[in-house]
Amino acid sequence: MIFRYLVLDILKILQKERTISSPYHLLKGKRSGQTIQDVGIFRLHPYFGILPKLSRNKYDEEIQNLVEQHFIHITKKSFQLTEKGLRFLRQHEPLPLNGWQYRGNEHIFFSRLSLIVQSLSHAREEVMSFNPIQKDESVQQWVRSFLIKNHYKSGLLAHNLYDEMLQSLGRAKISEQAKEIVVKRLTGIRMPGFTWEQISRELEMPELDVQIMYVACLHQWLNEILVGKGQYPYLFEMAQDIRVEVPLTESAYHTVLLFRQGYSIEQISRIRKLKKSTIEDHLVELAINDPSFPIERFIKREDIEQVLKAVQHYQSKKLKFLHEALPHLSYFQLRLALVRGETVCN
Amino acid sequence: MQLEQLLQKHFGYPSFRPGQKEVIEQLLNGRDTIALLPTGMGKSLCYQLPAYILNKPVLIISPLLSLMQDQVDQMKQFGEKRAVALNSFLNRQQKQHVMNSLHNFRFIFISPEMLVQPQVKNRLNQLELALIVVDEAHCISQWGFDFRPDYLKIGDVLKENRPPVLALSATATEKVLEDIRRFLKMKEPFEYIHSVDRPNIRYGKKIFPSKEEKTQWLLNHVSHTQGPGIIYTRSRKRTDEIASLLLELGLSASSYHGGKDAEDRQFIQQQFIEGALDWIVATNAFGMGVHKADVRQIIHDTMPSNVADYMQEVGRAGRDGKDAVAILLYSDGDEEVVRFIAGEDLPNEAQMELYDEYVRRNIHPKEMMHNGLISETSFRVLHYWMGLYPKEQVKSIFRQMVMEKYRSINDMLSIIKSEGCIREQLVHYFGQKLERKPEHCCEHCGIDYGEFLLPRTETHLKKKTFTWQIRLRQILLGTD
Ligand SMILES: [Zn+2]
Repeated sequence: MIFRYLVLDILKILQKERTISSPYHLLKGKRSGQTIQDVGIFRLHPYFGILPKLSRNKYDEEIQNLVEQHFIHITKKSFQLTEKGLRFLRQHEPLPLNGWQYRGNEHIFFSRLSLIVQSLSHAREEVMSFNPIQKDESVQQWVRSFLIKNHYKSGLLAHNLYDEMLQSLGRAKISEQAKEIVVKRLTGIRMPGFTWEQISRELEMPELDVQIMYVACLHQWLNEILVGKGQYPYLFEMAQDIRVEVPLTESAYHTVLLFRQGYSIEQISRIRKLKKSTIEDHLVELAINDPSFPIERFIKREDIEQVLKAVQHYQSKKLKFLHEALPHLSYFQLRLALVRGETVCN
Repeated sequence: MQLEQLLQKHFGYPSFRPGQKEVIEQLLNGRDTIALLPTGMGKSLCYQLPAYILNKPVLIISPLLSLMQDQVDQMKQFGEKRAVALNSFLNRQQKQHVMNSLHNFRFIFISPEMLVQPQVKNRLNQLELALIVVDEAHCISQWGFDFRPDYLKIGDVLKENRPPVLALSATATEKVLEDIRRFLKMKEPFEYIHSVDRPNIRYGKKIFPSKEEKTQWLLNHVSHTQGPGIIYTRSRKRTDEIASLLLELGLSASSYHGGKDAEDRQFIQQQFIEGALDWIVATNAFGMGVHKADVRQIIHDTMPSNVADYMQEVGRAGRDGKDAVAILLYSDGDEEVVRFIAGEDLPNEAQMELYDEYVRRNIHPKEMMHNGLISETSFRVLHYWMGLYPKEQVKSIFRQMVMEKYRSINDMLSIIKSEGCIREQLVHYFGQKLERKPEHCCEHCGIDYGEFLLPRTETHLKKKTFTWQIRLRQILLGTD
């Protein structure tokens, strides 16, 4: 049900505008110009990269079901939600996700936490050798230095961490069930964790839904930890470098460095030996992420207003329409206006 | 000091297990040694103790990256921090760091492909090693089922004046032993060959006219007898299928295969080891690195592809020395599936032609893999042989390999179809003589299963559903 909600919600936002594959790329967190622009244009930040391991088969199966059960119907170039589909969305609550800012890093946070918890659980009974639940060497190293620095053998760390977890997870704005799931994925001495399949059977819920709730819970928990940093010093340390403050792709980042040094698009394109349109993609990505990006250097204020009016008028954010209506503006200008226009004009 | 005293000093054990002392004595005398010891019989002690006595680093060549990591983890668990794994998992920086401090390690695990890199080879040549250990040495045999082409290169790395070589394996036929001696350039090696027979394991066998009847029997058997046990299957799909059937019957079971999330696999292992889970339904991915002494039953849902695999899987039962039962299930035509799978991971002739064409067109043949035209394992093997011989010759080599695999399948099949004592045939297969038949020896000598398998005690699966707060408290602070 949760997966269905996610797919339908994205489909609703993108209907008549994009192909049926777009939600798939969004959920997987595809780092392509198109997907990243869609995040900005359609405000899809919560859903970006929520399910990096989603298989195409699983997704196609869901689409097939949605069509067969008349939640959506596919048109020649796009698709549209039916009244039944819209009703389904109204009857369900959205999950509080924050994919854009955590970018899968929530899993690093949990890896650190779960290895720390497993270590403390064993240390409590003075068992120093156990099979570490996290095999990644960098996580192990991080945890080792965390434990030594915080004098884990005294037993105080376990108590303090327990208090912090109890408080912060308790305050996280999400259902108790989601919290149960996250804690079931922790493991300790004589208390093995539970597999996705086991949790799914117990809660009578598809595995994919369990995993989405888990991700949502980690996002909400991290929000609480990062906002109330003073109250949760240990968890705050584990959450270091987890939230991406200016989330840019690697390539866009290099373009932005040059842009900030004052190079023009043409110059950057020559220096980086990349197409002009690629550099433009990068700048649009920057515009999505950086509220101080001066889009008025590229498009006049009155042109932005015209774009916004056209969007209202045609009830579409499709670039092709807009380009036909406003032929004097380039695609690059249109995209900038779409991702940032509202903030400039309001 | 006596070896026993050294054993006590370094490991805290009062005495050796069969074979260990003989092997260690020979190695300390500088003699090349082949040791065939069953899994769980303390193979690794054979090189660990010499490492402490000689106080020089030991180089261990190991085929599987995950196995290697397990071994290093285990050593670290037991307080040996000077162990390291040199493999392709390391990034450039980590590798450099390890290379610079190599002399500080006591145990250096290495994969064969790493071993032949010039930089690594030179660095290793500068070290004065106590021993060179080749783990899972049967992988060197081209005709074996576990053949790893890279293993053949080990011989090239061995210099004239080298420390003794220790070849370790759980099981090997005389043919494989011959390859080990030859490719590792061993000089009149001492050979310790432990009897492959495990008297506390009873060999059962059930033959069914159809797959459905087999499944029915399996479900019935598992519902009425006590575990813990492992059910081996041939495919991920079948693994999941049996596990869900058992779960629906209210049994405590889980499937285990390479397609599961890494944390899930660990949870399942931990649950099984701690007795929270009675049955594991697994592909052959399960077992290596899992140490559970009280496994009472091993059931093969279908025939294994060769006798050595069968022995290794069966050998996971009854490590505590108490009675255990291994039951092999067979239904007509099972060998067809096994034959199909056997051919599957070898490259076919069309792929060989394609490889040739890529080379002629100046495209790196690796692209075949990226284009989804060949699996990674097949490519690895193909790439190796195509680099050595012309296409036609490679074709004939692979034809022979397939024949060999089919032959191994037939060997297994004939044991299944035979009316003779199963134990005797298994032991003979490895060129050994069976000293003594235990009572309740096998299906043909007669087993009273009731003697060994306790009826399943209905453990009321108390659904202890704690709140997350209580679970967290129990994990971090304990129950009190
Ligand atoms: Zn017998």
